Amino acid sequence: MTPVPLRSIAASFAILVLSASGARADGTDADESAAVSTAPPLVITGYVDIGFAKAQGDGTSFPSSYRALPPPGPPDYFVDPFAPAVNSRGEAASTALPPGAAAGGFLPRSAGIGGRPSFLVNTADVDLRYTAPELPILIFTRLQVIPRLYDPATSQGVLGGEYTRLFLEQAFGRITPIKSAELAISLGKFDSVFGIEYLDNQANFRVGVTPSLLARYTTGQSTGVKVFYRYQLIPIDSAISLNVAATNSGTFVEALQGPSASLTGRPVGAARLGYELNLARVSLKLGASAAYGPRNDQSVTTAATQRLLGIDVRLVVPTLTIAGEYVDIEEEGGDELGAAPVPKLAGTGPYPEVAEFYAHGFWVQAAEELPLPLDPALFRLTLYARYEQRHADFPGYAGADIEVDRITAGLNLGLGESLQLKAEYLVNREVEGAPQVANNVFTSSAVWTW
Amino acid sequence: MAAVIALLCCAGGGRLARAAEAAPSPAAEPGWLGDDLPLPLAVKTPQDIGFKSAAERQYLIFNLMAGGKLAFDRGDYTGAAGKWETLLRMPGLDPQVAQAVQPLLEDARARAGRPAASADQQAGAPEKAPAPREQVSPTPRRTTVSGTVAGGGPAGPGGAVIWLKRLDEHGPRPTPAQNQIITQREKTFLPHVLAIPVGTSVQFRNDDRIYHNVFSIAKPNDFDAGIRATGATYVKTFSHPGVVQLLCNIHATMNAYVVAVDSPYYAKAQASGAFTIHNVPPGRYDLAAWHESASSVTHKTITVGPEGHRDLAVTVGGDKRPAPFVPDKYGHKRQPQLGY
Repeated sequence: MTPVPLRSIAASFAILVLSASGARADGTDADESAAVSTAPPLVITGYVDIGFAKAQGDGTSFPSSYRALPPPGPPDYFVDPFAPAVNSRGEAASTALPPGAAAGGFLPRSAGIGGRPSFLVNTADVDLRYTAPELPILIFTRLQVIPRLYDPATSQGVLGGEYTRLFLEQAFGRITPIKSAELAISLGKFDSVFGIEYLDNQANFRVGVTPSLLARYTTGQSTGVKVFYRYQLIPIDSAISLNVAATNSGTFVEALQGPSASLTGRPVGAARLGYELNLARVSLKLGASAAYGPRNDQSVTTAATQRLLGIDVRLVVPTLTIAGEYVDIEEEGGDELGAAPVPKLAGTGPYPEVAEFYAHGFWVQAAEELPLPLDPALFRLTLYARYEQRHADFPGYAGADIEVDRITAGLNLGLGESLQLKAEYLVNREVEGAPQVANNVFTSSAVWTW
Repeated sequence: MAAVIALLCCAGGGRLARAAEAAPSPAAEPGWLGDDLPLPLAVKTPQDIGFKSAAERQYLIFNLMAGGKLAFDRGDYTGAAGKWETLLRMPGLDPQVAQAVQPLLEDARARAGRPAASADQQAGAPEKAPAPREQVSPTPRRTTVSGTVAGGGPAGPGGAVIWLKRLDEHGPRPTPAQNQIITQREKTFLPHVLAIPVGTSVQFRNDDRIYHNVFSIAKPNDFDAGIRATGATYVKTFSHPGVVQLLCNIHATMNAYVVAVDSPYYAKAQASGAFTIHNVPPGRYDLAAWHESASSVTHKTITVGPEGHRDLAVTVGGDKRPAPFVPDKYGHKRQPQLGY
């Protein structure tokens, strides 16, 4: 017979006494109906992101010299058109092309403010989250309105940005079939599983205002199925996780690979293997991601593939968060040897060529929440800085091999639970290949979450 | 009592004397004080079962009684009070034992800086236990305050926490409650709301087949229990009054509340909204009612007469929107739809 510590027996006596007065022997509530959560099954939340931004020059990365001497190919292959970002969506201040130039479909969405200081309604967002009371099912939709001035009388983006859009950013059902396991299966349109930057995609979750220069490859939503599984390793305070998805379009943002439908009939596979170390005051998360499948911007051919590899790290101590990510991208060209280029369909429209493309780069960000003598629930001030570098190459075009970097610094002021005020300055630099251009940006954002 | 005295004199007394003669260091635990149950007594007949049960009961009484005294003597007044409080909660305790222990318990509480227990927290005290010292002088009559909570929005009023604070004089400070447990089962905290007097220690127990964490960023009661396997426990003492939201750093959908009140007079409403607070002395009180769906605490002044106060109607708000974010243990926002 195994001896039982006396204190256990003593506690048992006390619990017997409590039982007589209404509490259950295990100490939990006898009134089960009042014991469980009273949270409503349907929760509707959302946010409004209002910004104010000013970009240098005309708000693009195209140099004025392109007006007189255009590059030997689509101008968006020779600069980084995503660099003068103004908001959390990664929209550029402008994507207005040099006169007479034709884009190659490597453009971000445009806010259409050019170099003019402007207020912007970046996003009005509504999230619906339904948790079935009796079943392990969650339904989630995220609907966004993006109001933009559109001037159809002029060429794309000269005065206006993209047209106003009603954007169903996510819509999926998630089932957790096994109560005793951290396993979730989602079906629908959902966030990427590649890397970590998708976790901060929304303005009300992002500490800064703008995404990194690599976000265009890793933070898109697509339609398909994904499976998440995590296993805890208690003895070493750790966990490993696997997030796997098979989707129509991979992980590029919708401006680059927009259609929710599969253009090739074959899915893109993506996965992230993660490791977490969770100590009392330190959390370290490491991940390795990969994606492979057909390019989903090829509207005629199906053979061109895309391949992404990435590693990521996050280190969190109570007030300091350091995060970084390295991504390597390879996209095969869609045109067959010796044949005419095949057309491409991106989120911003049709383009003449599925061009071969390579890129790699990294970003690293540090954010420190200042220890102010104020209630953090009411007032939080976070300073952050990010450095990033991106190298891109279109081998089919001489000179379209560029390297740029960016230094970003800003502050985030949290007022209460719902309001964030953010401001940052982006220093964009053309390190190699790309023509020098003044495309630094000051941008700010007030995000109200309701 | 005779059995206990016999145990003290025969089974332990001699050893106690020897132990005293040996003058062990204050922190040393004497060898004669038992710590394990059940006793290794053979059970061959039905009578043996009764005999063994009675012996173990006396053994338990002896060890709690004597263990408390040893703790008291070495200056561990909190430990002493804990053992004696457990002892006095045993059903059918011999009044002589209670009489012997009660004064020392009061002393231990005072030395430990803990307030004397109020009558409502001695609901499990032995039938014939003497009244605590504070009740020897004019004992105020204790009455019942009951009523119904309404409101709480679509979720209903269940889980509302109601407490009373004396307005016309200083009320007694609450004594920490014993054996408060919150379990984690099927990715849910049970109970969802736990009302406790301030200073109470709550045991968190993982009864799930998966790992969990418990943390709160509600200062000054914030804590982090770390990641815990099935069956693991963690004890947190809530030393400050306030509402403490509990979360799991692994599962963003889990949440619960501990409401630590600075009063011995409190209750949690049933699903119907009904509540009852026992042993309330007559007087004027501020009645406060908290509900997780209410954006503010409801306050109301009531007068409790000699016959108590029944049929109180309390309305709590249902206007608090679900939080848009679920924080992790560092206060960083999580997106609950991701599930991780």
